[in-house]
Amino acid sequence: MQVNETQSSCHCKAKNRPKNLNLFTIRLPINALVSILHRATGCILFLVLPIILLLLQLALSSAAHFERVVSILDSPFIKLMLLGLAWAFFHHFFAGVRHLAMDVHWMTTLMKARYTSKVVLVLGVLATVVLAVKLWA
Amino acid sequence: MMTKLLTKRYPGMRAWLMQRLTALIMAVYSVMLFIRILILQADSYEAFLDFFQPSWFRIASWLFWISLSIHAWLGIRDVFKDYVPNMQMRSVLLKILVVLLWVYIAWASWLFVRK
Ligand code: HEM
Ligand code: HEM
Repeated sequence: MQVNETQSSCHCKAKNRPKNLNLFTIRLPINALVSILHRATGCILFLVLPIILLLLQLALSSAAHFERVVSILDSPFIKLMLLGLAWAFFHHFFAGVRHLAMDVHWMTTLMKARYTSKVVLVLGVLATVVLAVKLWA
Repeated sequence: MMTKLLTKRYPGMRAWLMQRLTALIMAVYSVMLFIRILILQADSYEAFLDFFQPSWFRIASWLFWISLSIHAWLGIRDVFKDYVPNMQMRSVLLKILVVLLWVYIAWASWLFVRK
């Protein structure tokens, strides 16, 4: 997040700062939606790291453990969680690539940025749907 | 020159660039991984071991994990900076974050390098 350093470290009294605690008065334009989802999915990915490492270790350790991991991942509930996780990854990935594109000044006008936001949201869902079809078909 | 921005005087610029560099490395690795999963169809234990066997794949996976650790450290640090105004609380959380990431690096290194 780009926070102006001179603003965030100013010595003004904290109680004089404006506060807005009513979340319902904040409008959420599509670019803001993509942005906050990028942050949320980044945090989710960080939180599941130990689970990924654990599954990887089990799957590598022996044939019996491998079958166990496969059967765990095969249950419908876990598959659903896996899909959620996959969406988190896909969204973070596409929104991240959009970030990199805009950092080199590509697609930075408001109209284009709103368009690429839609593309990012659609691609994230689309990739998840494709994976769902592969998992259940 | 622009390179002046990358010296110690401007740590924010370094952090910003590192987040981009690691993002790029992870993006390339992810695409490679997806293609490899689609091609190799490792659905037995033996096939899964073969999937993991080539040393280039292990090295790439290890580099991916190092990138991920740097990326997650910078990213979660930003999140803490935004949402945890209490400095003591924030520094405790940051220490936990660093310890966790080092443990994961040790764990991942052990998985990718052994045998
Ligand atoms: C965000 C992380 C990841 C997600 C969401 C993910 C998701 C998946 C899914 C949904 C499957 C299909 C499972 C099934 O057939 O029932 C799969 C298979 C597989 N994954 Fe991952 N995976 C991730 C990370 C990894 C990593 C880091 C590796 C190895 C370095 C890996 C290696 C494999 C292999 C070898 C298969 C079997 C492919 C096949 O049976 O065709 N995955 N993964
Ligand atoms: C697969 C490739 C990935 C790409 C292309 C990518 C891209 C990016 C980019 C460009 C940013 C900077 C956003 C900003 O400055 O506001 C970012 C932030 C972040 N990333 Fe990633 N990322 C990837 C994978 C990951 C993974 C695996 C994790 C979790 C371990 C992660 C966690 C985060 C977090 C927590 C942030 C901070 C979010 C924020 O400040 O709002 N990223 N990512």
